[in-house]
Amino acid sequence: MVITKDHIGGLVFLCLSAAYGFYTGDISMLPGDEYEPFNAQTLPNILAIMGIILSLALIVTASRNAEDRLSLKGYDFPIIIKLLTLVVLFSFALEWVGFLISTIFFLVGGYWLLGERRPKTLIIASVPFAVFIWFALSQLLDIYLAPGRLITMLFGG
Amino acid sequence: MLEGIFTGLGTALMPFNILMVVVGCFAGTFIGMLPGLGPISAVALMIPITYGLDPSSGIILMAGVYYGAVFGGSTSSILINAPGCASTVVTSFDGYPLAQQGNAGKALALAAYCSFTGGTIGAVILLFAAPALAKVSLSFQSSDYFALMVLGLTAVAAFSGKGQVIKAMIMTVFGLMISTVGIDTMTGAPRFTFGSVDLLDGVSFLLLAMATFALTEVVMSVMKRQHLEEDPEIDMAALGSMKLSKEEVKEVAPTVARSSVFGFIIGVLPGAGATIASFLAYGMERNFASVKEKLKFGKGALRGLAAPETANNAASTGSFVPLLTLGIPGSGTTAIMLGALIAAGVQPGPRLFVDNPDVFWSVIISMYFGNLVLLILNLPLIPYISRLLAIPRPILIPLILFFSVTGVYLVSFNTFDIQMMVFITLVAIFLKLLDFPMAPMLLGYILGGILEQNLSRSLVMSDGSLSFIWERPLTLTIMIIAAVLFVMPVITKLLERRKNSGIKATAHHGEGG
Repeated sequence: MVITKDHIGGLVFLCLSAAYGFYTGDISMLPGDEYEPFNAQTLPNILAIMGIILSLALIVTASRNAEDRLSLKGYDFPIIIKLLTLVVLFSFALEWVGFLISTIFFLVGGYWLLGERRPKTLIIASVPFAVFIWFALSQLLDIYLAPGRLITMLFGG
Repeated sequence: MLEGIFTGLGTALMPFNILMVVVGCFAGTFIGMLPGLGPISAVALMIPITYGLDPSSGIILMAGVYYGAVFGGSTSSILINAPGCASTVVTSFDGYPLAQQGNAGKALALAAYCSFTGGTIGAVILLFAAPALAKVSLSFQSSDYFALMVLGLTAVAAFSGKGQVIKAMIMTVFGLMISTVGIDTMTGAPRFTFGSVDLLDGVSFLLLAMATFALTEVVMSVMKRQHLEEDPEIDMAALGSMKLSKEEVKEVAPTVARSSVFGFIIGVLPGAGATIASFLAYGMERNFASVKEKLKFGKGALRGLAAPETANNAASTGSFVPLLTLGIPGSGTTAIMLGALIAAGVQPGPRLFVDNPDVFWSVIISMYFGNLVLLILNLPLIPYISRLLAIPRPILIPLILFFSVTGVYLVSFNTFDIQMMVFITLVAIFLKLLDFPMAPMLLGYILGGILEQNLSRSLVMSDGSLSFIWERPLTLTIMIIAAVLFVMPVITKLLERRKNSGIKATAHHGEGG
């Protein structure tokens, strides 16, 4: 039997809908709410049932052509992982070293990951840009950008 | 009313307010063009500035930014397939294929003309019909809203490709599931938060839209890098002609007229907005199209570009009706404006006519100016805007990533949202590899909250009976339209199949005879 994208997608959503339906029972309700025509669990229950029915329908009507098999050839997955890790690191850096420094590091990191190696380009395309954005946000638009916990600890608030 | 119009003209034509319109449109276009920064972010960024201004000038500036951002968003949708804002997601469906075919100039010009026409028609309707329209939207009851949301969900068929109806329906349900995360507005019960404080407010729409469109698109383009390098580079910097032929104008004119009125009406309804209007207008236009024309949708159809572009601007104008006349925000962006107005000491609502006629009418008049400024400003700027594409991809991609991420961060100032974006992007990449469409999920998410609230109210009012569907003529009519729209693709397919088999049978008979 050929396992196609439809089969995988159907199975994934079947599991998701079942898990969603399972956790629907965890939604707390006020006393007597279960007798109301509509409560916090009503729509989630309907959605879980609809999700299960549609997932089964997808599995049953799934294409069985070999061409529809999931092919991961030609995709550069490591670069995705690196880029998304950089975004996560940026989110942590924002908290610790503030907007300006984390933006510079994020941009330099991004350019580097995508193949830019010239130090001059790395600096020119990141530092003035980050300073301009920081200046526009914090000085022109008066938006408070927290300096970062590390900076506050080292230099005071 | 005439007196009010003159008051509005007097205020809107003050040199400082004209400057505010120009500055707002320019800043909005620039911010909206950057993927990740949409009208919500752009208008939110203006709030600190408006604190120092007169309320009329403040809201005129924000309205200019709003229009500019909606238009700017369509530019990035067309040129780099990364919608600057949610209301221009649909623009990329046909705008980007047009750009890839070497018609970027035509697509951008069409977007500018449609935005202008949609916005202008919207402003004219608003000028003459605002008070009456407020009454109409007041007469809508929960059951009508519920039916309207169901009608909205039937548009899902428009976003599904060949044989993808079930996948599109699954994604709609998935979007509805995401909309249930967070505190239930009816009972206050936390749902699917798993004890996380950050999930109590649910998943923000901006976050979801940016993660599934901007971030995922950018990341997928990098993922296929090797593949792209093997292909001949598409010369996107060559815009092609910006002129539209007479036939093309004739083709899109009815679409523009329909979408202007339709977009405006959707914009007027509280809770709906430019995003819903653009999705619905696209769905409606596809349903109106002949079988042959339908095949062009998603591959560079001019009507597919004109419909959402016209509707989102008309809806942006329409969304000011509930804001100004009822004090109810028609969209996320107008909700921010409502907050800013209240902070400035102006309470939008039925008494705004009486208490602050200058604010009410000057906003309406400046909307027309805003659209004019956008057209004058944007058409000559298109060749310069396209230069963005000349930036090398290793430089442009991190910049787009940065704007997408900070656009979400600057709304909430919560780094958890960035981590959430990464998670959603990973899920979206997986789903895209499995050929699941993303737009139905967004549609389900947008309509989910309103659908649940109105279903709940309708059921409570009818003691748990579904009779509210057929008891109110308006509800029943909308439900019948929804049912027809939902069944239409299936019927069309069956008719097509019968026609094809008929042709084959005739051909076979001919051969035999």
